[in-house]
Amino acid sequence: MLVLSLVLIPIVAGLGLFLRRGEHPDQSKAFGAFVAAFTFVAAIAARGEEWSFRWLSRPFESSFHFGTTSVSFWIVLLLALCTFCAILATNVPRTASFVAQLLILEGAMMGVFLARDLLAFALFWDLMLLPVFFVLLGWGTHAPTAWRYFIYNFAGGLTLLLATAAFGVLYGSTDVIGRADVHLVGAWVPWIFAGFAFAFLVKTPVWPLHTWMPLTYSDTPAPMVAVVSAVQSKAGLYGLIAIGMAFMPDYFKAYAGIFIVLGVISLLYGAFASLTQSDAKRVVAYSSLSHLGLIVVAIASFNPLALQGAIVYIIAHGLFSAMLFLVLGFVESREDTRSLRRLGGIGAANPKLGGALCIAALAALGLPGLAGFVGEIIILIGLFQAGLLWAVIPALVAIVLASAYMLRLFQGIMNGPNVADLPVRSDLSWIEGLAIAPLVLALVVLGVDPHALTAFDPSAYNTTTSQGVTR
Amino acid sequence: MTPTVPASDWYSIAPLSIVAVAALVVLLADLLAPKSVNRYVAIAIGAVGLIVAGIDAAYAFHSNYAAFGGAFIVGGFSVVFQEIILIAALGSLVLYGANGAAERIGGTVALMLWSTSGAMLMAGAGNLMTIFLGLELLSLGLYCLCGLADRPTARESALKYLILSSMASGFLVYGMALLFGASGSVALADLTNPGLISNPLFWCGAGLFLVGISFKLSLVPFHAWAPDVYEGAPLPVTAYMSVVTKAATLAVLARFIYAALPTTIASEMLLPVWIVAAVSMIVGNVGMLAQHDLKRLIAYSGIAQVGYILTALAGGTALGMRYAIYYLAAYTFMNLGAFAVAALLSGEREEGTRLANYRGLAGRRPVVAAMMTFFLLAMAGLPPTAGFLGKVLILATSVSAGYAWLGATLIVGTAISLYAYAKVIRAMYARDEHAHPHDVRAVAPLAWISAVACCIIVIAMTFYPLTPSNVLPLVR
Repeated sequence: MLVLSLVLIPIVAGLGLFLRRGEHPDQSKAFGAFVAAFTFVAAIAARGEEWSFRWLSRPFESSFHFGTTSVSFWIVLLLALCTFCAILATNVPRTASFVAQLLILEGAMMGVFLARDLLAFALFWDLMLLPVFFVLLGWGTHAPTAWRYFIYNFAGGLTLLLATAAFGVLYGSTDVIGRADVHLVGAWVPWIFAGFAFAFLVKTPVWPLHTWMPLTYSDTPAPMVAVVSAVQSKAGLYGLIAIGMAFMPDYFKAYAGIFIVLGVISLLYGAFASLTQSDAKRVVAYSSLSHLGLIVVAIASFNPLALQGAIVYIIAHGLFSAMLFLVLGFVESREDTRSLRRLGGIGAANPKLGGALCIAALAALGLPGLAGFVGEIIILIGLFQAGLLWAVIPALVAIVLASAYMLRLFQGIMNGPNVADLPVRSDLSWIEGLAIAPLVLALVVLGVDPHALTAFDPSAYNTTTSQGVTR
Repeated sequence: MTPTVPASDWYSIAPLSIVAVAALVVLLADLLAPKSVNRYVAIAIGAVGLIVAGIDAAYAFHSNYAAFGGAFIVGGFSVVFQEIILIAALGSLVLYGANGAAERIGGTVALMLWSTSGAMLMAGAGNLMTIFLGLELLSLGLYCLCGLADRPTARESALKYLILSSMASGFLVYGMALLFGASGSVALADLTNPGLISNPLFWCGAGLFLVGISFKLSLVPFHAWAPDVYEGAPLPVTAYMSVVTKAATLAVLARFIYAALPTTIASEMLLPVWIVAAVSMIVGNVGMLAQHDLKRLIAYSGIAQVGYILTALAGGTALGMRYAIYYLAAYTFMNLGAFAVAALLSGEREEGTRLANYRGLAGRRPVVAAMMTFFLLAMAGLPPTAGFLGKVLILATSVSAGYAWLGATLIVGTAISLYAYAKVIRAMYARDEHAHPHDVRAVAPLAWISAVACCIIVIAMTFYPLTPSNVLPLVR
């Protein structure tokens, strides 16, 4: 039941908060943070637990089956942590409704990562898009952004749904996630794989399906975008590992070249685009495109070591991108702008804010000692081992560029002459400090001792063996 | 010598007789009750009649009986459709309690009940005459109901419905005459005779019959009447028409498709129906994009939703029938729910169905906006609603029945419809300080109850997808 409560409690709490009358910003934040903290503790306690409830027996078997897999456990922890930090950092009008949307988003994404059933996965996949859409409608500044997000991602959601239905009809059951003995064969399977892959690549995103992302990331309020970029974008990568690689490895391998090429283009394109942006949030958005491109390459290489690195980097990227967006949110709330041209020289008067951005930027550029470095180096070794030298070199270029754009971001905001025209500003408040402290702690701990994460066993996902039961 | 009719034949039509008698009681009570309470008396009697009929009908669920020499067939199939019709009638009746015109309530309720008994007759119709009888009983009541509101569009609505629906009836009855000419019998059972395949009369008759049915179901290209008629009719009548006529006509069509065709040619003969369904899914959803009125939006949405239901029927599998019924039930509750929410924004003279009235609604009435959002998402087929599961089931059954192209069309149609529904949602959640639309606040506990009940049922259906097993339509 504990694992079910991970999904239900945030959704119920969010709905309750949404329907409550009146504005109580501090109460709402405290309540939301408490719920998120509970899910974090409950997720640790629920490791290995499973809960199942029969949903359909015709036309294919399907259950509401929840439980962690070796990959999803860490992403679930990341999700609870990021939601906690994001709720504490919330500083927007109509706080109660916003926190409610964050909680519903958390519950829906818990459903995505905990689902052991494909149909439940697809259900929560669609559900997790709604809070972001509503936040873009209610708090965004630019209506077309919401449409762009909605149309791209729901198109992906629909192909996912069609592929799931076809999977169910072909295999007779969708209660399969986390099982290693399920292999799909047949003339229809490439189409099913294409349906899944389209949804996952849109969500991640990779070039050329990324055009919704910079707009969404810059227009969504910082706490929401922190969760979206840290965790929601990982749903696609998780799907590639837990569904594409697990059930259709032969087809995934056959088309792996396409994924690697798209990943390499994304990581280069993202890095160069990031260098030219003047909007601080877009710098981070394009850097995400670059980092996630690297993870796509790592997954598609089918090398066990690179895959382990991908898991580490999924978590590390979640931590530092959440932190970057939260800190940029703090800057924006003080200066009323995100434009690098109109920012500068904040660091001298605000040492704590400067320090926070510095740590986040260093983690993002892969400084040894922080978690990002561990992921990058394992992925690169793995790619080298797999003989993908032509992918390693662009990856190195992108990593060098990461230093350039992250330092440009930091310097543009914190160093240089003071160009801001707003006289009153304060350094980090204690609650803002509390919001980013867990992320810093996690980045350092995982950077020094990543063994917990690398204990992930890729052979459970059919990377080395390709024999299994088909029916 | 008159043939004797056994008592069990009369019992088999007891549910629809109860509804018809309840209508008479409503009229009598309307004469006797004081003016101040007659609205509630009429609705209460009608509701009791519908509920009693529903309970009585449910007893026949496991039976399988052909009454009146095969003219009326009682079984799981007819009972399920009758229950859907009764629920929809009850939901629409309740909306009259919210904001119907008080002065004509007795006649209105009576007409609605008689129409309902006609629809129930169609659900069990086993020969061509009963089909026509039920259809006309249903339609005659609706012609009057459509024109009840005091506004020019209501008159337009009634006249349009009368003329176009009569024309459809003409197609239907002419088709029936040709079918009778070909088979020498009005019984649907005699149409399965393989000897008919070579008879051109049979093909012409079946074609005209299907055209008439498509007209009543408002399938493209026979759909143009639906938005205009829906827009002009009073809100409860629109809710009634959008579900009851579709459910009753679908019952007839499903029985025809499943049981009343020579099996060897059924698939090629029905290909035009599937093509019409595919076109309806696209055109209905595209048509939604340009609408500025909730009723017109739901009219176009209904055109597409019937396409989805027909997708489940394609292939003629038993599972397909069950999923079609599941989706029809889901459609019933989401439509009734949406209309109940609209009733919350309506007064006696003014109906809150203009989409302009919904701008910024979330800021003014968050719970109402949230419920409307929920029903729109359900129609779009997003989780966690029965619309989502219904579409998954229909996709699965269409893929396994070899009609994957219909499933793909469903996906394309859904993608288009998402934009149309989301446009309404966006209007509700837009922050618009300049707009001060005129909000009507109906004090309507009944509409609240029915909206909340529909919400709960639509969610519950997602997690407990009950699909009864003995629902294959039969002929005798």
